Amino acid sequence: MMGTAMPEASRPQIIRLAEVSVPTNDTSQIHFDQVSLAFCSTLGRGTVQVLDRVNFSIRAGEFVCIIGPSGCGKSTILSLLAGYLRPNGGQILVRAAPVVGPGSDRVMVFQSTALFPWFTAADNVAYGRRLGANRHRLDGQRATVDELLNLVGLRGFDRHYPFELSGGMRQRVEIARALAVNPDMLLMDEPLGALDALTRLTMQAELIRIWRETKRTILFVTHDIDEAIIMADRVIVMTTRPSRVKEEISVDLPRPRHRDDPRVGSLSRRIANLLGVTI
Amino acid sequence: MRAKLVSPILLLASWEIGVRLEWLDPRLVAPPSLVVTELWRLIESGDLVAALAVSLFRVVAGFLIAAVVGTALGVLMARIRAIELALDPLIELFRPVSPLALFPLFILWFGIGEASKVFIIAFACSFPIILNTYAGVRGIDPTFFKASRSLGASPWEVTHTVVLRGSLPHIFTGLRLGWGIALIVIVAAEMIGAVRGIGYMVLESQQTFRIPRVFGAILIIGFLGFVTDLGFRHLRRRMMPWYREARD
Repeated sequence: MMGTAMPEASRPQIIRLAEVSVPTNDTSQIHFDQVSLAFCSTLGRGTVQVLDRVNFSIRAGEFVCIIGPSGCGKSTILSLLAGYLRPNGGQILVRAAPVVGPGSDRVMVFQSTALFPWFTAADNVAYGRRLGANRHRLDGQRATVDELLNLVGLRGFDRHYPFELSGGMRQRVEIARALAVNPDMLLMDEPLGALDALTRLTMQAELIRIWRETKRTILFVTHDIDEAIIMADRVIVMTTRPSRVKEEISVDLPRPRHRDDPRVGSLSRRIANLLGVTI
Repeated sequence: MRAKLVSPILLLASWEIGVRLEWLDPRLVAPPSLVVTELWRLIESGDLVAALAVSLFRVVAGFLIAAVVGTALGVLMARIRAIELALDPLIELFRPVSPLALFPLFILWFGIGEASKVFIIAFACSFPIILNTYAGVRGIDPTFFKASRSLGASPWEVTHTVVLRGSLPHIFTGLRLGWGIALIVIVAAEMIGAVRGIGYMVLESQQTFRIPRVFGAILIIGFLGFVTDLGFRHLRRRMMPWYREARD
């Protein structure tokens, strides 16, 4: 039980609590410590190693993008953090406590909009706060549904059903729905991936604005290099499978950032090189 | 809507003329005018309402049982693998068996009274309800489950805000199909083993050679199905304004 590495422990979060080396950096909100994950291969026998000892930390309020080749397990990192999956090895700490399941302190925002088609925009936004788990937690500190729709620029659309909204508007409602439960962090899985190019640019700017107004931590998975540089404080570049962190790149550029800024261009080339693309 | 009235009116007109000109044997085919007169008499005497009340009670009772049990089983089968493995072969074994084949047994077990009729209705219409509910739950995008859990939903909250809401259009289809089957089965059951009800009225009128009454009772059965299906459609639009539009 005193071993230093026990990747095969069946209940790592309990056994390890005693030996957790709380990250020295107090301000880190999310901490991935040697996280590995293997899936059983669906075709035939054997396992597929998706993540291989992934390490990174994220501070409260940071906007971090994860970028990597297709199939490298970017979304898997979010699924682990959201609590849908458990790692085979290593541990994931959120505010120094291991992740044991989904929780409304970490809300997922999906690519193909996951708005409930059977609820109106207002009912979708109000969904999370009507759940038993959030009702008391949110007492006294709740923005109204109108305020949230207003924040995402959709005043007056409360009675619309998702099918009556455009892709960009649906994504805005989904962000409002996530913010309604007052989460510490938003986990965004290519949230703008399904939008057309123009809407995507608008939504990037909107997301930055919402992030600055609400001061949440955002972990944002993308495979668009420019998008990552325009939006993030820091970009985590992943390798191909089995995936590890290849490099973390701080983006110390003033906001708002522009695509034609030469500093964006040089960072973009650097990340492309890390991903094995020459431009 | 008006265009839909053309063919029924043409049918009624040629039917009336056909019988009047004796192209059709008036002893075997009652003209619409006589059918209407007979129906009016049945309504006045209260016989029709009495027969309908008896049949509707049986249908509604059996249908409600099937709606509750069928929906629950469909959801459980879709969500729990062990239950699916247990129930699926049983359903496929009993589904092709005509409920009427089982009716003699139901009479034996539950008597000639209401229970056997209610039970055969519940049995007959539970299959489309179970299978449609199952398909509906299975068809829900897994992302909705993830989103719901991420926002903090408990398993019960997931069940009623995602599972039941998301499969409601399919559940509704199952209920509509089940209701249609219930109307078919009740008439047959009342012909086999009953002394009251609309199905019994058809058979008894034929045996006593009151042909206008046979036609009248048949028309009422058709009308009942038509009106209730309109009700189902109306209910669907009211309950699921998002559904049809979302697919078109």
